[in-house]
Amino acid sequence: MLLQQLVNGLMLGAIYMLVAVAFTIAIGVLNFLNFSLPGLFMLGGMLAFGMMKLGWPWFLAFAGALFVAALVSLIVERFAYRPMQGSDPEVPLVSSLGFLVLLENLMLIRYGSDQQPFPALMPDMNLRIGEVVIGIAQLVSLGISVALVAWLSWFLAATNAGRRIRTVAESRETALLMGIDIRSLVPALFVASALLAALGGILFAVNYQQVSPFMGEGIGFKGVAAMIVGGMGSIWGAVVGGLLIGLAEVLSISMLGADVVNITVYGLLLLILIVRPQGLMGRPATREKL
Amino acid sequence: MSGYLTGVLVVLAFNVIAAYAVYLPLAAGQLNLGIAGFMAIGAYTAAYLTNEMGWTILPAVVAGGAAAGLVGLVVGLPVLRTHGIYLAMATFALGQVISAIFLNLDVVGGAAGYPVTEYAPPAAVFGLAIGVVLFMLLLSSTRFALYLAAVKGDPTVADLLGISVRGIQAAAFTLGAIVAGVGGGLYAHHFSFIEAQHFSVLLSVFTVLYVLFGGTQTVWGPLVGAGFFTLVPELLRAGDQYRYAIFAFVLILFMAIRPQGLVTTAMLRLRRRAGSAA
Amino acid sequence: MSIAISVEGLSKSFAGVQAIRNLSFAVPKGGATALIGPNGAGKTTVFNMISGVYAADAGRIVVNGTDVTAMPSRRRIRTGIARSFQNIRLMPHLTVLENLLVGQHVRASSLLDLLTPFRLVPNHRWKREARAALEESGLGRYADETVSGLPYGVRKRIDLVRATLAGADVLMLDEPAAGLNPSETHALRDHLRALLGRGLTLLVVEHDMKFVDSICDNVVVLNFGEKIAEGPLSQVRRHPKVREAYIGVEEEA
Repeated sequence: MLLQQLVNGLMLGAIYMLVAVAFTIAIGVLNFLNFSLPGLFMLGGMLAFGMMKLGWPWFLAFAGALFVAALVSLIVERFAYRPMQGSDPEVPLVSSLGFLVLLENLMLIRYGSDQQPFPALMPDMNLRIGEVVIGIAQLVSLGISVALVAWLSWFLAATNAGRRIRTVAESRETALLMGIDIRSLVPALFVASALLAALGGILFAVNYQQVSPFMGEGIGFKGVAAMIVGGMGSIWGAVVGGLLIGLAEVLSISMLGADVVNITVYGLLLLILIVRPQGLMGRPATREKL
Repeated sequence: MSGYLTGVLVVLAFNVIAAYAVYLPLAAGQLNLGIAGFMAIGAYTAAYLTNEMGWTILPAVVAGGAAAGLVGLVVGLPVLRTHGIYLAMATFALGQVISAIFLNLDVVGGAAGYPVTEYAPPAAVFGLAIGVVLFMLLLSSTRFALYLAAVKGDPTVADLLGISVRGIQAAAFTLGAIVAGVGGGLYAHHFSFIEAQHFSVLLSVFTVLYVLFGGTQTVWGPLVGAGFFTLVPELLRAGDQYRYAIFAFVLILFMAIRPQGLVTTAMLRLRRRAGSAA
Repeated sequence: MSIAISVEGLSKSFAGVQAIRNLSFAVPKGGATALIGPNGAGKTTVFNMISGVYAADAGRIVVNGTDVTAMPSRRRIRTGIARSFQNIRLMPHLTVLENLLVGQHVRASSLLDLLTPFRLVPNHRWKREARAALEESGLGRYADETVSGLPYGVRKRIDLVRATLAGADVLMLDEPAAGLNPSETHALRDHLRALLGRGLTLLVVEHDMKFVDSICDNVVVLNFGEKIAEGPLSQVRRHPKVREAYIGVEEEA
């Protein structure tokens, strides 16, 4: 059943991909390793769950969860990013981790620490191709993820706003010289990365039919790994990295057992960092001028 | 001393040791997000030596530190070629791999955990923590400590002044790993049981939080940070389920107001000047 | 007359742009040589190549008789050459004294030196030395201040003092007078003359020609990475290529 495992790996990889793209936007443009993103991922899944439990229809619950995640991300920008300009690079990381802990514990107070079953949206709808079974829900989420990332990549390449963002990512100084208002771009980028992360959380909940206040940690960290494997700041790198990590995880579970997942996934990350620190699709850093 | 108070102080002591293990490389500008992995190496090495090889605690804990230091040096050299966020992620991955390896190592109990027979009393834990603090204070008045700051502040210029930037970084990283290993070794013998799951990313990350909260500019920062992080949640225990939420909230506000951490060089200097003026 | 720095056939290009082209010049021992030229002529690049920040594409650099062309940047200071920086590269969070202590590294680099808790020793000789060097340049009162809070002119001169503490006999100073007020410039001139009196060799990049005239006995003029003239300032000034290079700049401005 290697083929089935490959399919499962790609499905999981699509979730990592969304989180990795969210991280890569924050790192590539803002130079901010935003550890509140796993929290926003969790918020997406948990709030969608909570709102559906209140009897909301699924599309309203999803929209509501995305909206709240975007709002929280603006708060993160205000308290974890904006005051830190010019301080040591580790500091915003700490504050964003603070947000992760805060969000997790708020959800824990509201919903308890246990895993909760997420209602099946499309029960028993499976696609059978020979031996391989693919859930429709999984297929839809894969489609959404890929379409979204493709759109994002087009947006960055072809629109004026995208070009401005890429200029900021290349060099803040150039962007300033060209009269680009970086400060007005920042909140938009925070909202964009929050939406991607929260959407990842919702799709995860739909696919795996479970949510918990701590669902963001493992996946968030693997999203970071995926981003680095692919190459920080590169959207397509995040795609490749996400799928690769997803495949590595599913294949190592099925071949070697669940306990070795962290050895394969993070061993891969470590290896990449030593052999090719800029990632598979990233460019090497240049030496500074005096 | 009541059992409760002793318990809290023991946790504080271990947190202080861990904080200095993170502080050393951080003072040279290297964020080690895998410190829990080095604690695990120290813990499992020392526990194996007393359990299976009949060593006494002291040499076993020293050997635990040495093992962690060795891994720090061997893995650190290639890892330290990377910078900034890459280095942080490499150490993060390293910590994950180490703890996953112990999870699968059946000689030391695997996922079921590893009971430790020899027992180290609280006094030993306090002694080690005080020893680490004194060592760090002594170290902070050497050229080595100055070079840590120089390498962090401006590696290009430090290099042109003849300082071996990689040498200093590797030394700081290895020394941090040794401190973590020694702390882990004693941890195993005080709590009489270790499991790989304890040495998780979150342990690493929380330790980094203590240090950054306390501030990396002075040698006192980690001590103050570890103290705050250990004691305040204890005081908030009344709020119970709200305590970590309140705590995270306070942390976020604090870092927004004072990103350089609680204790800064300027603050200590002001103190000194006020003292000499009086 | 012996030679402190000799540069032969040096070339360097960045991303296809030739920054330095076949450059040769020599800095005689015991005097002050100025490296001048319009903005972008490649003066700081030459400094960066001599100190090892950039590797040379071609050519040879010899300092005090040692070929340093392939030597790692970290070791070059041990051949007796130290430098200051155009945009002041002090460690901002450290005090002035701490910055100077770091500058002493080459003269105190054994493992024992590294691990001696000397700051617990009152009046340790390293601290005394650093303070003395500060006093000598009239900056003694700043010793315990944090660098980031100090005025530009003071930081600029501390950068110079740090370079002198490496025990080098050749100093490369990158625009030491830039941004200084007249009295600071005057103090700097005295300081540099005192260093020359002690037998040190100076290689100075500087825009202020009056300042160059008052310190340097020899001038090398660069334009577009090439040497266009060399000699005493009074002669070099009359050189047609030099006039062209400088007038060209003035017309643009």
